[in-house]
Amino acid sequence: MQEYPEELRTPPVALACLVGCPDVHALITGNLHSLQPPINTIALPDFSKISVISKAAKENPAAGSVKPVGGIVKRDWLSKHRTRVPAVVAALFSSDHVSGDPAQWLQVCNNLENIKATILGRNIKLLVVVVTQSGSKYDTNEDRMISLRKHAEVDSKNLIIFVPDDPLELKQSLNRLGTACAELANAYYRDEGRRVKACLERKNVGSIELHIRYCFKVAVYAEFRRDWLEALKMYEEAYHALREVVGISTRLPPIQSLVEIKSIAEQFHFKISTLLLHGGKVVEAITWFRRHISYYRRLNGAPEVIFLHWEWLSRQYLVFAQLLETCSVTVQNLTTTVSIPADKQTEWEFYPPYYYQLSAHYLKEKNSYLEFAISMSEDVGGIDGNVESVVASVYVGQFARLLEHEGTYAMQALTDDEYVRYTLAEGKRFQDSFEIIALLKRSFEAYNNLKSTRMASYCGVQMGREYFVMGEFSNAKQVFENIASLYRQEGWVTLLWEVLGYLRECSVGISSVKDFIEYSLEMAAMPIMTNNAAPSFRDCCPAGPPSLSQREQIHKKAFGLVTGESGTAPSENNGLKVNGDCPLYLEIDLVSPLRVVLLASVAFHEQIVKPGARTMITISLRSQLPLNVEIDQLEVQFNQSECNFIITSDQKPRLAAISHVHPDRRVETAPTLELPTSKWLRLTYDIKPDQSGKLECIYVIARIGPNFTICCRAESPASMNDLPLWNFEDMTETIPTKDPGLAFSGQKAIQVEELEPQVDLKLDSSGPALVGESYILPVTVASKGHAIHSGELKINLVDTKGGGLLSPREVEPFLADNLHVELVGISGQERADHSEVNIDNIQKIQPSFGLISVPFLNVGDSWSCKLKIKWNRPKPIMVYVSLGYHHSSEPSSQKVHVHKSLQIEGKTAVTISHHYMLPFRQDSLLLSNIKAKHDSDHTPSLALNETSNLIISAKNCSEVPLRLLSMSFDLEDDDSFIIQPKEEKFREPILHVPGEDFIKVFAVIPMGNCSTLKTGAVSLEWQRDSGLGEGFYSCSASSQVTKHRLPDVNVELPPLVVRLKCPPHAIVGRPFTYSVTIQNQTELLQEIKYSLADSQSFVSSGPHNDTTFVLPKSEHVISYMLVPLGLGSQQLPKVTLTSVRYKAGFQPSTTSSTVFIFPSEPPFQVTDIGETRFVSVTE
Amino acid sequence: MIVCIAVVGHQNNPLYLQSFTESDDALKLHHIVHCSLDVVDERVNNPKKSAPTLSETFLGLLYPTENYKVYGYLTNTKVKFIMVTTDLDVRDADVRNFFRRFHAAYVDAVSNPFHVPGKKITSRTFAERVSTIVKSFGLNSAG
Repeated sequence: MQEYPEELRTPPVALACLVGCPDVHALITGNLHSLQPPINTIALPDFSKISVISKAAKENPAAGSVKPVGGIVKRDWLSKHRTRVPAVVAALFSSDHVSGDPAQWLQVCNNLENIKATILGRNIKLLVVVVTQSGSKYDTNEDRMISLRKHAEVDSKNLIIFVPDDPLELKQSLNRLGTACAELANAYYRDEGRRVKACLERKNVGSIELHIRYCFKVAVYAEFRRDWLEALKMYEEAYHALREVVGISTRLPPIQSLVEIKSIAEQFHFKISTLLLHGGKVVEAITWFRRHISYYRRLNGAPEVIFLHWEWLSRQYLVFAQLLETCSVTVQNLTTTVSIPADKQTEWEFYPPYYYQLSAHYLKEKNSYLEFAISMSEDVGGIDGNVESVVASVYVGQFARLLEHEGTYAMQALTDDEYVRYTLAEGKRFQDSFEIIALLKRSFEAYNNLKSTRMASYCGVQMGREYFVMGEFSNAKQVFENIASLYRQEGWVTLLWEVLGYLRECSVGISSVKDFIEYSLEMAAMPIMTNNAAPSFRDCCPAGPPSLSQREQIHKKAFGLVTGESGTAPSENNGLKVNGDCPLYLEIDLVSPLRVVLLASVAFHEQIVKPGARTMITISLRSQLPLNVEIDQLEVQFNQSECNFIITSDQKPRLAAISHVHPDRRVETAPTLELPTSKWLRLTYDIKPDQSGKLECIYVIARIGPNFTICCRAESPASMNDLPLWNFEDMTETIPTKDPGLAFSGQKAIQVEELEPQVDLKLDSSGPALVGESYILPVTVASKGHAIHSGELKINLVDTKGGGLLSPREVEPFLADNLHVELVGISGQERADHSEVNIDNIQKIQPSFGLISVPFLNVGDSWSCKLKIKWNRPKPIMVYVSLGYHHSSEPSSQKVHVHKSLQIEGKTAVTISHHYMLPFRQDSLLLSNIKAKHDSDHTPSLALNETSNLIISAKNCSEVPLRLLSMSFDLEDDDSFIIQPKEEKFREPILHVPGEDFIKVFAVIPMGNCSTLKTGAVSLEWQRDSGLGEGFYSCSASSQVTKHRLPDVNVELPPLVVRLKCPPHAIVGRPFTYSVTIQNQTELLQEIKYSLADSQSFVSSGPHNDTTFVLPKSEHVISYMLVPLGLGSQQLPKVTLTSVRYKAGFQPSTTSSTVFIFPSEPPFQVTDIGETRFVSVTE
Repeated sequence: MIVCIAVVGHQNNPLYLQSFTESDDALKLHHIVHCSLDVVDERVNNPKKSAPTLSETFLGLLYPTENYKVYGYLTNTKVKFIMVTTDLDVRDADVRNFFRRFHAAYVDAVSNPFHVPGKKITSRTFAERVSTIVKSFGLNSAG
């Protein structure tokens, strides 16, 4: 499309001419250009230049054709109308001149006459513009203006006052000028069109050529007016008329005649397509294009210039593709909405790549014919040098010789013979291959964008061929390689054969012997079975037709090259060689297309094997090459390189060149290593893995000759993919191993177990652990059959319940408080034989993890250590201990692991509780008790300066007996709170069996008078009872302390204290005294009411019911004499006291008012123990 | 004249491809058949554009090349038949009829118990039958 002249490519734009007043031209030009539709301008600064638009001497088309027509369309007609012949002439006069002195007025009139004379012949429209200043706008002479208009013979609207110096006025003037220009231009083109059309309609057009020319002109005028429909109609008419000329025109020699017709048809078709496509009529455009092509395709022309025909055809496709591309947005919309008639257009015809591809195709056709034509012409006698003076003639599609004759030039028509020579010379100058590749590339990319990979591949093949022909092998190779993968995937063997054939040749071109061999082998292994290739495949690709014999030939050539033993001369191999200096190494992996060349399937017969035990392995090889392949040496490689082994054929002596293998390698022999076509070669050997872990076969390496190696990745038969390409062939399925079970489940890897450990690891548990103590867990390592080298003991403490192991979060710093259980140490590392302990052994201890090294132990030795674990809270944990060791001193020997675990409960040993009691038969009135009666959890209240009892009780919650050693108090303030005894160490440890309570009573005297008194804590020291004095646990002597915090107490001064007093026992009939002492500790007089209830067991004397007053800081005693009547434990008569001031009553408790009555004097001595009695229940 | 007939499998792999041409463009026919698979894919995957052709097995004209016309047919088992003809003026009915007969021959061939589905068709009987059908297509359109 780019080679078309610009006036053809773009829609025509009307042309106006400005004459005079050059200072306002820029303003007007800019304005006209920005109009919609725009108007181009020719600006002439003064009136003398008007002659440039004057009409050249030319016959009037209406005047009939007396002269023979030289051609159909003149080459420069269109550009003339776009650049030289204006539709409107705007004559600009200054208002000063118009209304100036008579001389100036005369000048104006003269100029106007000149213009009129000039434009008369062309019917160009006239527009008169008077340029005036805004200030002198109304100074214009009215008469002169009218006279000017009459002179110019223009309508009043075409006489415009132009005011350039006022923005508002300027805008108005420009608008007026623009509208007038557009109207006049339209009128001009319409008139011209009508005039030419009238000639057409009168049918007095002399020749068909003129008819076409007039149609073309009408169409162009219509285009100037933007009357697209009319333009399209006329172009179509011209196009159809052109067809009638074909074959009948004798104006020119036949070859040139056809060339001219085709050139014009091309232009017409271009115009029609553009109009249709821009009008959104894509379907019509495509249909039109089809018709255009199908008609002109037949017009091949003379055989010697047939390449011109192909070039022309190629250009048609190219231009249409470009057109389609420029309005591709519309196309996309249309194809989805407009339903396509099924047999009319197909999908691809809506897309540019289709046309690009065909354009490339025809260009290629042109190339081949051109080459042929050139070679023919050279045979005839070469092209004479007379072609330089040939130029394009004035008519479209014609060429002529330019003759210089006495300073003037003349055109001389060419003969066909001359023309052919000219075109050949022109053709030689251009190299089309790049253009073909560019077109194909565009098509290739566009198809790829449309996700039409197959179409793209076809373009790619053509592109690659072109590169190949040009000798750009690396480019060709790159293109072909991309395509080959698609053909491989879809199994298009023939297409792949072609591509690989090119690739093989390209490898030769770039001297890549590896690629050459790879492609050769792949081709040789392709599933082509027929031997009689269809004749139609001859010469279609560089590797020859796809056939079995061709495969064999390729096979032989490739192996001849790699072994270097065949008779092929180096020249035949195009410089490719394989020798000791440049050996060849091919690698075949699981996705390589070369799997068909060599497929290695490796299966172990077992899945698990013990180290050191023998197991069988089957290596199955298969090749699809057409001829048998003799392998000289096979090497099987494993991930454990000690297992690698080599297989050689015992038929063939080992080649000296490839015998330089690892001396330690095992070498096996096989009866034959010849790989038959499409058959499995199965080799079974035993193998003895020594190392535990996974043993996997990785590579099977085949060496053929001294310099050729194929390294093939081993595949498991169980997960083996089908062979590419061959999977579509209808052939019997074979399995890689004889045992079908193994073929379906065989694996190329085997699990080698660990060595059986011959070491005992013992954890001795001594029952549950107690919170607080350092629990000792002895670990014993005893060797039974293995010496232990560089052994390591790992200890892990794990919470049995999972979550919340020892520390809430790992990241937190290890605080002893956070840890419920921690490993505090490993002690007593000693050997059973008491030899020296290796000091510098590894020892790492973390709260939940420990690592220590085990010293060297000989067979039969044992070693033990003790883990010290401390429980801070009761919690069951799991202790995992694992021992890893080498059983021999070689560092390469395998590690053996022994694991043991043990669950240990952590329990609280003792729980301590306490409560306070008042002394026997003594009560203090504590006011806070009366007030806070309802509070359930009030702090205990104690009477100030009075002795109270504190009872501490310790319960053994564990399952083991304990020994209690001592009990002591840590008081916060020794002065304000006296406990007696403060610390008691038991004379000998008290055995405390599980579940038992140990109770101890202490006297407490609060001294400080404050409401809440901080007391302190009680500590109980205990240790595990080691049973029968056996000193097994060396650490058990260390005692643990359980602490119990005593709560704060309320201390207050009791206002009243009541004491009962009576003997501990009595004898029937013998009187005794029973007294109640009321002590008033206040400064106030206390009124006390009291009463005594009668009792049947006693006869009493004393006040029965009374009110008494107790003086401040004094005591009052109420005394009764009682004579017991009954026997046994008897309730004393109940005394009830009531303090009137505090409204508090007192009644002694039942226990404190009970006395035992003996019938006679008991036979024991009673000593008065006075008022302070300590009772220890346990004693 | 029919110059090429092909059966294409699920993975777009050729199951049967026979060309009936004496000239040296057999390879080109392979390319044409292969390229036409793009059109088949397009028609099958974008049923909106080709609504009238989706409901039936006959896919119609796939695409015109400069010398050939390519027709397609899609069986219920998604096996594609591609036919390439040099006749520029072919009646749809003829092509439909041809494909119907070809389909019948294909069904018979794959019903052979020794045929493995998805593998290339190597039956000689099938080849003979196909060439008969192809020849009769020429006669029909001539007559």
